[in-house]
Amino acid sequence: VTSLRVVARSPVRRLAPAAAYAALAVATASIARSRPELALAGDSRAALAAELAVGAVLVATALVIRRAKHAWFPALLAAAALAWLLSEWASPGAASALAAGLALGAAWPVLLAAAALRGPDERRLGPLSCAVLVLGALACVGVLGVAATLVFDPALEGCADCPRNLLLAGGDHVAWTTISQAGLAAAVAWSFAFAAFSLGRLARASAARRRVEAPVLLPAAAAIALFGVDCLHGFDRGFTSNDAVDRALRLGEAAALALVAAGAAWTRVQARRTRGELARLVVDLGAAPSPGDLRDHLAAALGDDSLELLHALDDESGWVDANGRRAEPEPTDGRELTPVIAGGRTISAIRHRAGLLDDPAVARAIGVTARLAVEHARLGAVRRARLEQLRASRARIVEAADRERRRLERDLHDGAQQRLVTLAVGMRLAHRQARGDPDLEAGLADAERELRDATVRLRGLAHGLFPAALGEEGLAAAIAVLAEGEPRLVSGELPADRFAPSVESAAYFMVSEALRLTSDGDVTVAAAREQAALAIDIITDAPLREPPLRAEDRIAALGGTLTAGTRALHAELPCES
Amino acid sequence: VRVVIADDEALLRDGLARLLEDAGFEIAGRCGDADALLRMVEARRPDAAIVDIRMPPNRADDGLVAAQEIRRSHPRTGVLVLSHYLDSRYAAVLLEEAPERAGYLLKERVSDVAVLADALRRIGEGECVIDPTIVSRLVARKRERGPLDELTEREREVLALVAEGHSNGGIAERLFLTRKTVEAHVSQIFLKLGLRESPDQNRRVQAVLAFLRSE
Repeated sequence: VTSLRVVARSPVRRLAPAAAYAALAVATASIARSRPELALAGDSRAALAAELAVGAVLVATALVIRRAKHAWFPALLAAAALAWLLSEWASPGAASALAAGLALGAAWPVLLAAAALRGPDERRLGPLSCAVLVLGALACVGVLGVAATLVFDPALEGCADCPRNLLLAGGDHVAWTTISQAGLAAAVAWSFAFAAFSLGRLARASAARRRVEAPVLLPAAAAIALFGVDCLHGFDRGFTSNDAVDRALRLGEAAALALVAAGAAWTRVQARRTRGELARLVVDLGAAPSPGDLRDHLAAALGDDSLELLHALDDESGWVDANGRRAEPEPTDGRELTPVIAGGRTISAIRHRAGLLDDPAVARAIGVTARLAVEHARLGAVRRARLEQLRASRARIVEAADRERRRLERDLHDGAQQRLVTLAVGMRLAHRQARGDPDLEAGLADAERELRDATVRLRGLAHGLFPAALGEEGLAAAIAVLAEGEPRLVSGELPADRFAPSVESAAYFMVSEALRLTSDGDVTVAAAREQAALAIDIITDAPLREPPLRAEDRIAALGGTLTAGTRALHAELPCES
Repeated sequence: VRVVIADDEALLRDGLARLLEDAGFEIAGRCGDADALLRMVEARRPDAAIVDIRMPPNRADDGLVAAQEIRRSHPRTGVLVLSHYLDSRYAAVLLEEAPERAGYLLKERVSDVAVLADALRRIGEGECVIDPTIVSRLVARKRERGPLDELTEREREVLALVAEGHSNGGIAERLFLTRKTVEAHVSQIFLKLGLRESPDQNRRVQAVLAFLRSE
């Protein structure tokens, strides 16, 4: 996307600032060469060339790194480069442009400060930064520039061949000296304050933040501090000039400006390299990455082993980790949370070492470059979360069914069966009173037989629902009771210890289903605890009539597995060891 | 014979009391929960207590626990536990600690006074009684090999009848054998199960326990 935008950008927009700079540079050169004794670069062609070259490099850098439409940093950088040239225009050779040179000769440090505070990552300027810039503008442009120019009459100051000062309001030597010195003092104070402010800011920033800001802010602060030293040097005279010290400082400023350009370019290259690393993710991950792959790659690319990747569920019902387990998107003990945004929606979040993603270019790069990979990983995690929800829901359904079965079993014993027995006693009493009436006696005898039959059936039904032994004593006891009523059941080794109720009932009903699905032949069952699982083996003499689907459902609901052959069943049920 | 009846269903205890009175038993008391039963046995010293396994306060095996308590504190009082459960494990729990003068019958037997009266009489004689349905299930089940496999088919048959609480005479009648033959079988059973050094009554109960325990 980025490269497409570069290609599509209009060449005119790119060439206009370059052309403006070229024109300004030619003018500056001619001004400086016309009166070399007054030029800041002095009479050295090399120094002048260096001045112009530094400006050109700054403009070129600004043009190269300019990407987004509303990018302030390149604009401010280019403006600082142009203003840097204007400081040569306070010379008789500038003719009618003299006023511009006088008023804006000290504008470049302020523009440079603005560019440095904004930074290549286009940081929002805080109130403190804004205050610093306003004060700088007042000192360097307001007082030292415009206010002094208003009272500067070149003729009065002994410059006979100077052109007219177009901004002159009223020439006054004393006023000009006073205002100039005040402006210089303010410029010195501001320059040093800015340098201190910048250093303090870098000292307080996180390592990642410092890596982003320092390459531009540090040389910019140096250039501005050198400007401050020059102002201090010129304070007694009332103006900055071009003596040996001035020229040396001017060269120092040029060198610092060159470093600013280099720093901006380096930052850009770094961001591009990180994007490249992230872009490789997409290639490396391939078609079907496993749950932790993207996390591992991000951790390697960003250099944070403890990095975590969290994903938002589609219905905004919460967050999950790569394995689909519930997670809270909160920063934890000294770690930060950076959202990954796609299509205006937060799809994922990276929990990482504090400061790791302070570089917005990296965070943005993850959003842009690794977006597909992140979305892919997120969908995988969401799918796993859904599966887990489904499994938990199935387990709850089975547990609820078991609870109901137990309740029914108790109700049948305590209620219906108790009533039937009471009824049988009542009929027995009636039977006694009916002595001597053969028809009635015979009828009552039939009814009593029916009643006994009903009692037996009801007991069988209740036991089949949920054997009391299973809840009271566990699997081995319940299988033993089952074997009492089912001669075909042969029980081998069974663990006497207790398991979770749902595990015990799944194992028990697997056995009873094996009995149900075979009409003759022995059914042999054995079970054993194997680490964190209960393993159950059932062997039947006769083949199973149909697959044991009920047992399969129960076991799968617990996250276990059932392997069914025609005469053998093997199940493994997870349980805490 | 003086009997107390403990069952939380009032209609059932009253009906059962009338049936037993008609059959010549004296009803020493009726109650509806385990605590009342223990107090009643303490106060009235009956010959036997008929106890429903499921009773308040917990509606679990409170009756069984109370029956064991009676066997411990009143050795002269027999207990007959009534249960809806076919599981032999409750019977085994009951007989494990004090196997004499104890019985375990399925609840529906209450309407058959003859069975009930017979069981109470045998318990009074110091034997133990297990419901025939449970015994036949135990005989039919598949077991691992144990001392019971040493018994012949006929001896196992005799042992099952002993478990149901029948006397040698009763067994002889049922199997169409002479009393002497039955006695010979019974002593063979004792021999094979390693029960030698105790009085005859005790050995019969021990044999039943061996039968219950074998799985």
